[in-house]
Amino acid sequence: MRRWAMKKFVIALLSGVLVTGVLAAEAASAATVTNKDSETAVLIVVEGESRVEVAIASGATEMICPSGCFVTAPSGDRIGLQGDEDVEIVNGNVVVK
Amino acid sequence: MRSVGKLPAILVCLLALAMGGPVMAQKAAQPTAQQTAQANGQAGQKSAQPAQSPQGAQSSQTATQPADGKAAQEAQPAENGATPGAAEPAATTTQPAQNAQPAADGVPADATPPAQSQAAEQLTKAGEELRALTERVEKAKDDDIVLADLKVQVDALAKQIIGVSVSTRPRLDEIKARLTELGDPPGEGQPAEADIVTAERKRLMAERGAINALTGEAEGLSVQATKLSNAITATRRALFSNTLLKNTEVSTGMFDDALTATADETRVLSRSVGSWLSFAWNYKRVPLLTALFLSLLAALVFLSGSRRLFRPLIEHDITDEEPSYFRRLSVAFWSTLIPTIASAAFAVSSFLFLRGFNVLRSDIAPIIAITLGVAVVVFFVTRLAQAVLSPRDSRWRLVRVSDRGARMLMIAIFAMALVNGLDYLFGGVSEALGSPVVLTVVKSYIASIVIGLIIMASAWIKPMLRKDESFDAHGRAWPKVVSFTLLAIGASLIIAAVSGYVGLARFIATQIIITGAIMVTMYIGILTGRAVAKQGAFGETSAGRYLERRYNLEQVALDQIGLAAGLSIYALVFVFFIPLILLQWNFQIADIESWAYRMVTEIKIGSITISLVGIFAGILFFALGYVVTRFVQRWIDGNIMARSRVDAGVRNSIRTGIGYTGVGLAGLIGLSAAGIDLSNLALVAGALSLGVGFGLQNIVSNFVSGLILLVERPFKVGDWIVSGTTEGFVKRISVRATEIETFQHQSIMMPNSLLINASVGNWTHRNKLGRSEIAITVTYASDPRRIMALLSEIAAAHPMVLKNPSPSVGFTAFGDERMNFELRIYVADVLTGGGVRNDLRISIYERFRDEGIGAPFPVKIEDVPVEDQTGIESHHPEQVGEPKGATSAEERAASKTTASDKKTASAAPLDEEREVEGASGRRATGRRSNPNR
Repeated sequence: MRRWAMKKFVIALLSGVLVTGVLAAEAASAATVTNKDSETAVLIVVEGESRVEVAIASGATEMICPSGCFVTAPSGDRIGLQGDEDVEIVNGNVVVK
Repeated sequence: MRSVGKLPAILVCLLALAMGGPVMAQKAAQPTAQQTAQANGQAGQKSAQPAQSPQGAQSSQTATQPADGKAAQEAQPAENGATPGAAEPAATTTQPAQNAQPAADGVPADATPPAQSQAAEQLTKAGEELRALTERVEKAKDDDIVLADLKVQVDALAKQIIGVSVSTRPRLDEIKARLTELGDPPGEGQPAEADIVTAERKRLMAERGAINALTGEAEGLSVQATKLSNAITATRRALFSNTLLKNTEVSTGMFDDALTATADETRVLSRSVGSWLSFAWNYKRVPLLTALFLSLLAALVFLSGSRRLFRPLIEHDITDEEPSYFRRLSVAFWSTLIPTIASAAFAVSSFLFLRGFNVLRSDIAPIIAITLGVAVVVFFVTRLAQAVLSPRDSRWRLVRVSDRGARMLMIAIFAMALVNGLDYLFGGVSEALGSPVVLTVVKSYIASIVIGLIIMASAWIKPMLRKDESFDAHGRAWPKVVSFTLLAIGASLIIAAVSGYVGLARFIATQIIITGAIMVTMYIGILTGRAVAKQGAFGETSAGRYLERRYNLEQVALDQIGLAAGLSIYALVFVFFIPLILLQWNFQIADIESWAYRMVTEIKIGSITISLVGIFAGILFFALGYVVTRFVQRWIDGNIMARSRVDAGVRNSIRTGIGYTGVGLAGLIGLSAAGIDLSNLALVAGALSLGVGFGLQNIVSNFVSGLILLVERPFKVGDWIVSGTTEGFVKRISVRATEIETFQHQSIMMPNSLLINASVGNWTHRNKLGRSEIAITVTYASDPRRIMALLSEIAAAHPMVLKNPSPSVGFTAFGDERMNFELRIYVADVLTGGGVRNDLRISIYERFRDEGIGAPFPVKIEDVPVEDQTGIESHHPEQVGEPKGATSAEERAASKTTASDKKTASAAPLDEEREVEGASGRRATGRRSNPNR
């Protein structure tokens, strides 16, 4: 009986921690990129060793580079991202919020 | 007074914590803002000069059309900048700066913003560092430990590079914003824009290009760093599989080589040890002796000290005839762990002493180090086997094996540990002396075969016992599964070694011995933790008994401590042994550190990251906030409000309010400390509002009602209230419900919304003043004026009856054959009304009897001649105390009819009173003749 109670307690504790963690996680996830332009934007994302072109449709939001990367905007500007920013593409420019 | 001083400090700290984020953000924002302001100011001042001159202004005006009105905006800051500072110089230097040259020239080439040049500098440095790291990686190709360390450095560098490019972002944003302000250059056929604008655009574009180039450089560096990091991982993987899966040709020639090499090595070893000893003795005698002395001291401290300190934990109690399973477990666990730790500490400290006194030579140091290390490991394994098997004392044996079996197993395990340890020791010595590799290979080859043979041999040990057999029985063979497994492992070790995979064989042998030992210890530790955490188990332990004696702890508290102790033993086991096992598997400390770091800072599951540190910080901050809130609450309540004689209701409201606010604040602080973005809660709030719409509305309405109750205070704790059918004293006003205690001491939780929505009667709202009535009935034989005068007199004589408002007597009705009077009195405390009425009735009865008026209550009128009737007619006396509540009209109507069944819903004490009075009334009726005749 007691062991059962303890188990329940532990389960409750763990699930509580997990829920909090998941909530917390929302805050510390990858960088989000939202395309505010009317046409598809193509970003060149350099993360780690790889260089990927990411196409983001108009109005779409994508998650990129959870642990830091470099992004080349359609306008040719290059910026470094730490991995926790919210980024918008406005007129081909990358605007970090 | 001290607490007065403390509180603001705590509050300030709390505030600072709460504001930490924003403040930091502001700080971060300030420099950029200042920069911007400076830049604007500069630009403004510089372009102010031309703007002052009429021509300049004109030219900028003419430029307005082509530049889509943006030049006007550009002129705006110029004027702004001109007003404060630049007006004067412009005025003094009346020279009209008509050409835009100054603006273009005014931006010197070296105006690269400090942030940018700093970033460039940092990048160059990072590049150099990366090159240096690459070189070091190249050099340390074969050294796993160094590689692991380098990888950590490279990863940190990659992060740093990204950080550098992030730092240039604000400037780039500024430039972009400014460029947008300036607009596109005029196209073909459009009128040309002002030169200043062109120049500024050019300059900005150049800077933008420079920043982009810088970021590009950073990008390249970052890619390089990641590549290097991945290369290190690949190298390390290859290194590992190489050591494991390297196949060595096993031949007789190899053994010949090894034989000669052994002879050489022995010679070299004895020579170097001898020379070192004589060197140390001759030239470093004092440091050597000091180091040895200190080592001995350390041994005294660690080994005998730990034995002393933990004696009850690690020693077999000879007097204990039948030690409990838990006791055996804990003794086994601690008697393994504590001496091992102590001996490891001793080994480390002696090595450090020797090195610290510069006694060691570079060729001797590794030999001594590995000797000490191997000794500790062999000690640990032996100690563990001893603890588990307890070959000498069957009572303390953890596993049920025969005495003989335990001895044999002990020997086998010790032999294996020794052989394996010697293998590593000789390997280390060979490495230190630079002997040929073949020697190490042959040693490992032999060691693996020996260990394999020992394992195979132990398959024939007969340790098993039947349930009914005693420990000194002969014992039976292993179950088939176990003996086959042992045989298979031993055989595979031998086969691996013979077929040339010496590295693999050695690795497996080590894993079997060391990892096995660590796992067994862990298992014992976990069993101990579980046993301690069992209900009532902790009280049985010596620590538990001590605590019980020392602090007079209850059983429950002991149990909780036992639970905590069990959990902390688990934690200890995992924290201590898992890294040990990982180290066994050729992971490096740097790896484990970075894992542990990542484990507590970010656990990634898919795209979400969990930060344990964040969560714990959140919980900590919440707890802190909660404690502070309670403290503030108590302080304000006890110190400020108690002294300023605030009304109890207000006090309660303020205390509760502070409690809610504080807990809410603490929750917010905790949430933000946990890294939870509060905007995410908007989602939850949205979901909740839907829930409120459906099911939660009652709870919410109760909550809000509770807040209203606190603010409006229609009643306070201790008031006598009536709401619907519930009547009683308010005990507690909490968020959802108010606790009312009826006169029968029944607690009723009344939802707050009911108290807000329904009408609530409060007997003691502003004051406790209350009116009480007593009904008196007499026959028409009496003189009503006389009766009224008597009643007034009686009421006035009672000390508890208020003089103002004064008591009054009303002639309320002409009843059938009797007159109805009502005495209305006011009492200061409505709660005393019952007692006062009681007293008054007694007085009235006695007085009427003395005056010969007769009983002031209805009596049955019998068929008596009229002249015999003394005028006593009572109709029911108590018309009591439904104090202010009931309307007098009602009452009168009721008293006209049979009054007794009227007040069923009156207050409980009054009911009681009525019962008593009813009884006395009946008695009086029985004795009716007394007063009259």
